[in-house]
Amino acid sequence: MAKRERRVGYGWPVLLAIGVHIAALMLTIIKWPESEPDPTSSSVVQATLVRAETATDQPQQTEESTPPPSQSEEEDAPKPEESAPEESSKEPAPDNDAEVTDNAVEEAKAEARRLQEEAQRAEQQRAEAERQRQEEAEAEKKRQAEAEAERQRQKEAEAERQRQEEAEAERKRQQEAEAERQRQQEAEAERQRQKEAEAERQRQEEAEAERKRQEEAEAERKRQAEAEAERKRQQELAERAAQANESSLDSMISDEEQSIANAEQASEAANGFKNLVRRYVEQSWNVPSNASSELRAIVRIQLLPTGELVNATITQSSGNSAFDHSVINAVEKAAPFREMRELDASVKGQFREFNLDFNPEDIR
Amino acid sequence: MNDSMSIPHLIMNASLIVQLVMLLLLAASIASWIIIFQRSIALRRAEKAYRDFEDRFWSGVDLNELYRDLPAEQESLGAEHVFRSGFREFNRLMPKTQSTDAVLEGVQRGQRVALSREEDRLQLNLTFLATVASASPYIGLFGTVWGIMGSFQSLSMAQQATLSTVAPWIAEALVATAMGLFAAIPAVIFYNRLSAHAGRLLGKYENFAEEFHAILHRNLQGRSEREAS
Repeated sequence: MAKRERRVGYGWPVLLAIGVHIAALMLTIIKWPESEPDPTSSSVVQATLVRAETATDQPQQTEESTPPPSQSEEEDAPKPEESAPEESSKEPAPDNDAEVTDNAVEEAKAEARRLQEEAQRAEQQRAEAERQRQEEAEAEKKRQAEAEAERQRQKEAEAERQRQEEAEAERKRQQEAEAERQRQQEAEAERQRQKEAEAERQRQEEAEAERKRQEEAEAERKRQAEAEAERKRQQELAERAAQANESSLDSMISDEEQSIANAEQASEAANGFKNLVRRYVEQSWNVPSNASSELRAIVRIQLLPTGELVNATITQSSGNSAFDHSVINAVEKAAPFREMRELDASVKGQFREFNLDFNPEDIR
Repeated sequence: MNDSMSIPHLIMNASLIVQLVMLLLLAASIASWIIIFQRSIALRRAEKAYRDFEDRFWSGVDLNELYRDLPAEQESLGAEHVFRSGFREFNRLMPKTQSTDAVLEGVQRGQRVALSREEDRLQLNLTFLATVASASPYIGLFGTVWGIMGSFQSLSMAQQATLSTVAPWIAEALVATAMGLFAAIPAVIFYNRLSAHAGRLLGKYENFAEEFHAILHRNLQGRSEREAS
């Protein structure tokens, strides 16, 4: 047994170990670029615009107007064929003269041929002319039909426009009539109002005059009575003044005491509620750890009559925004203050909106 | 995942202590893997060598011949080493004493020494694996705690603490724990596996030593009876 097999060297293990680590590192590096999500298309509906035009009745009209000319063409066509046999029946007449001489015959033949040719040419020309005329007539008919259609369309459009105009005019007339009626009514109302105002003024003037007269009479009477009473009263006053002085002082003092007591009660209740709110807020207050005891924030609290919080704002900041935030959060957490319902209506009004100042020392 | 959150980027941006911890863990991981491979190969070879030697031993070969075939004392390993040290003790004691007990005692002592040396050799470096397995999670945790401490220190300077300002720091710190676990998990698994393998092999050596001892005992017993008669 060879000794190289017994002693296991470290060369291969080192290579294998490094290989394991490189493989692990590769896994961490290479794996994540593959996991990027492939972009999905954002379009949901795929549609293309096929046609933006709507069908009009124009082509239908042209189709309707074309058939009549084609019918007339068929009727006119047989005419040249009928005239052709008449020409051929005239040909035998020059044939009889050919018996006198060959020349004459030949001439006659030539003549006949020429005549025939001429006749054919004439025939052709006539047929041509006929055809041209027919074509012209056809074109004319077509033009007329188109013109007719055009005129009809114009007429219809005209009629339509007229109808619209009439409707418009009718509507305008109605509106004007309506406006007129309203104006008349308003004028009527105005006139009545003026009349009433006039009547009212007259009535007032009369009443005024009446009152003045009465007042003057009254004043006259009073003056006389007063003059008399004055004399008596002065005598009585002098007597009563001494007595009255003492009793009025007593009642004034008792009134004062009552009002002071009331105010004290109200302010006590108010303080009680305020303290309650303060205690609730402080219970749910997380004072920031870095808040020093010099910090002081004043919060304006707005409440509903049911005790629910409407708004809480910092009216005087402590200068530390974290502290201010914590106070606002505490107020929001402590709301609603249900004790608000049990307060008197008079005190309630006072607490729709009030200020509270907070200081970390209060709870430390 | 953007580029700034990739693991190599996080390692590069970590603070110095965290980087040192990571380096230590990387070294421990590489060393433990070296030991894992080296021991695996060594134990597999030792097992194969033991099987070969056992076949040869029980094939009826003359023990003196076998002893002469084996390589010198320092080179021999495993069961051969046990056999060789026992047989040498037997040969040396036989001419000097008539007492079978004294001879057997000397043989046993020689075998015991050889066995303890073999045990030492089989479990070589396995203690390092155990150390890595138990210590590297703590080292990684230390790196993480240090990184998070640094992240909170720098967080106190910032006006607003959002998740995006904290996240890179914490991810960076957690890489250290990940590396500690990466080093520790294979070390634990292979420590258990390799030490069980080594223990099994050692048990086989001991069995072989007992069997060899029994053979020598039988021989001596036969000879003493012959001398007595």
